[in-house]
Amino acid sequence: MAIIIDESTKTIVQGITGKNASLHTKLMLEYGTKIVGGITPGKGGHEVEGIKVYDTVEECKIHHPDASVSSVWVPPRFAKDAILEAIDANINTIVVITERIPIHDMLYVRERAKDKNIVVLGGNTPGLVSPGKSLVGMLPRITFKPGRVGTVARSGAVTYYLANSLNLAGFGESTSVGLGGDPILGANFEDILRLFEQDSETDVVVMAGEIGGVYEELAAPYIKEMTKPVVAFIAGKAAPQGKRLGHAGAIVEGNMGTAQSKIDALKANGAVIAETLSEIPVLVREALESIRGYDKSRRQK
Amino acid sequence: MRLYEYEGKKIFRKYKIPVLDSVVVDKMSYHQLDEIMYPVVIKGQSFLGGRGKAGLIKFANTREEAEETIRKILRSKHSSFEIEKVLVEKKVAVKNEYYIASAIDRPAHRPLFIACKHGGVEIEEIAIQRPKDVLKYYFNSCIRMHEFEARKISRSLGLSGKELILVADVVIRLYNLFLDLDCKLAEINPLVMTEHGEIYALDAKVDLDEDAMFRHPEIDEMGIFARHEIGELTERERVAKKMGIPYVDLDGDIGVFPGGAGFGIAAIDLIEHYGGKPANFMDSGGAPTQEKLRAMLGLLVENPKVKAIFGARFGGISRCDDWARALINYVYENKPGKPMIMRMAGNMEEAGRRIIEQAKAEHPELFRNIKIYAVDTPIEEVIKETIKTAKRFG
Repeated sequence: MAIIIDESTKTIVQGITGKNASLHTKLMLEYGTKIVGGITPGKGGHEVEGIKVYDTVEECKIHHPDASVSSVWVPPRFAKDAILEAIDANINTIVVITERIPIHDMLYVRERAKDKNIVVLGGNTPGLVSPGKSLVGMLPRITFKPGRVGTVARSGAVTYYLANSLNLAGFGESTSVGLGGDPILGANFEDILRLFEQDSETDVVVMAGEIGGVYEELAAPYIKEMTKPVVAFIAGKAAPQGKRLGHAGAIVEGNMGTAQSKIDALKANGAVIAETLSEIPVLVREALESIRGYDKSRRQK
Repeated sequence: MRLYEYEGKKIFRKYKIPVLDSVVVDKMSYHQLDEIMYPVVIKGQSFLGGRGKAGLIKFANTREEAEETIRKILRSKHSSFEIEKVLVEKKVAVKNEYYIASAIDRPAHRPLFIACKHGGVEIEEIAIQRPKDVLKYYFNSCIRMHEFEARKISRSLGLSGKELILVADVVIRLYNLFLDLDCKLAEINPLVMTEHGEIYALDAKVDLDEDAMFRHPEIDEMGIFARHEIGELTERERVAKKMGIPYVDLDGDIGVFPGGAGFGIAAIDLIEHYGGKPANFMDSGGAPTQEKLRAMLGLLVENPKVKAIFGARFGGISRCDDWARALINYVYENKPGKPMIMRMAGNMEEAGRRIIEQAKAEHPELFRNIKIYAVDTPIEEVIKETIKTAKRFG
C-alpha cells in the first residue's frame, strides 16, 4: 500500500507556472506521478509540461474530482491563501513546499485543516515519495528504491542521505516523508508514525529529527505503543546554543529543543538511537532480524 | 526577532499601553537627560534576562548621578553582549506588580494569554514555585479577544472595580498587538499599579516573527530593524547575512559547504564524530543562485582558519548542474589553493558531472586539490578524507 500516495493517486500542483514548480512538475511526471492539473490564479487556460492550468482549485476539482493530493509551491505571502483554497476544495493531503510561512498563518491553517481531517505536510517540506509508485515534491528520484522501510525526517537533504545509505546497504523504502524545516508544521512525527504503523508494506520505521521545536519529544510516547521497531537519528548534537541553523525551526532556545532532550525522550520510549547516518542501516538490519527471530520463535511454539 | 525594551515600548505607545516618560541614551552625550524628571531608573538595553542581577538596572536621584551611572553601563558587557543603549525612565511608587503575556504554545499549536499576580520575577521561577498562580487562557488563532474575556483575566489577578477595567484594557491591547504584528511573544513584566491608581508597563519584551516582517513595513518605519536573535554577529556572519546566507562561525578548521540546513547540521555532528573541527554552519536554502553559491565558497576560501573544505550537494530543488557550474566558475575566477573534498548526487547529477569533468580536463592545475565524489561513496568517507586532508594542510 505505502502511505499517503501510491501509483493511483491523482495530484495537482498549486503555483505550477513558477520556475521551481514547473521544473519539478516535469520531474514528477517523468517519475510516473499522476498530475491532473495545475493552479495559478490569472493563468487559467495555459499549459505547463502538457498539464492544464486552472485559475482556482475548485475549477480543477470539477474537472478532476478524484484529485486528492496537492503540492503548494507559491511564495510565502500567498501560502496561507493557497492552503486554505485546497482545504476548501477538500483536497485530502496538502504538501507545502513553500518555506518560511508566518507562524500565525500556519496556526490558522492547521486549525482549518483539522476541522476537515486534512493532512498538511510542511511548510518547507521536500515532499514525499513511495518509490516506484509516486513522488510529490522535489525529492531526487534516483535516490529512493522500493522496499519495506518507512522513513520520516524534518529536513530534505537528511531524507535523501537516509534513503541513500539504506539503499547502499540493500534496503528500500515503502514511503519516505519529509516533515519540513519550518517552526510550525502541519503533520508531525506522530501523525506519520501512526500511518506507518497501519501500513502493511512497512516493517520498520526510521525517523530523523533535528534540534529545535518539540515534535520529536511529542512523538516519543506513541513509539511505546507501536508494534513496529523505530530507529531514530537526531542531528544537531554539536550545534551552538541560541543560533538559528538555517531552518527557521532549528534553534536551541533555553532547554527546549536540544538534541539530548530529544534523544532521551525517544530512547526512554523504546526507539533505537543511531549516532550517525551510516549506523542507521545497521540498526535497521538488527531490528528486522529481531522481528524475524520473534516470528520464528512464535512459530516453533 | 527580539526587540529591546525601548523598541517594545515604542510599539506599546502606538497601541496606547501606558508607559512612563523616558529617554534613550546611546552616546557619550547626555543632553537628553535634561528632558526628564528625577528620580529615574536607568536600564541597560539587552535581550538577555537577569538584567537586575547583572547590574544593568540602577536608580539615580539627580542628573549628575544619572550621568555617572550611564557612563558605567554603556559599552559594558552583559555576557557576550555589549550594551549600546540605555533607557532612562521616570521612577514611580509601585503598589502592586503583575505579569501578563501573549505567547504561542508550540506543542499545542495555539496562542495563549498568561496572567499572574506575582510580577517582577521571571515567570519560569513562579511556574516552579507557585504553578497554580500562573493562569493560562487559550485562544483560537487569528481571533481577537472579547472584552469580557479580558475582564475575566483581569479579575483573576485579584482586581475589582476601576482597577479591573484599567488592566482589562491593557490585556486586550497587548493581545491585539500580538495578533496585528505577528508576535511570537508580547510580555509585560511587571505591569504595575502605582500608589495613585495608575497603571504602567515597566518592561516590554516583544519577539516578532521574522518570517512575517514582509507585511509589517510599520516596524521598519519605527526604526526597528531585523537583527540576529542572540549575541553579536561576527564580521563574517554579518557579510553572509547581507548576502542572504544563513551562516554561523564555529571554532574549527574544516569549512562546511553543505546543501540545505538539515544536512548542514548533520554534517557538523559528523565532522565532530570523526574527530574533526567544523569552521562553520551554512545553508544554501532551496535552489540557490550562482552568485549565492559562489559567495558561499568565498566565505570559506577567504577564511584563514579553514584548511580544507567539505562540500555536499544532494540535488532536490537545488540542481547538481547549477551547483557544478557555480563551483567551476568560482575556481576559474579565484584559483583557490585550498583542498576541497566534495560529493555530488541527486537531481541533474549527470549534467553536473559532465560540467566538472570537462573543466578538469581543460584546467587540470586548477582542480588538483579538488575531488568530487558521486552517489556511490558514503558521505562518511568524504568527511573522513576531508579531516585527514585538513590535518595534512594544517
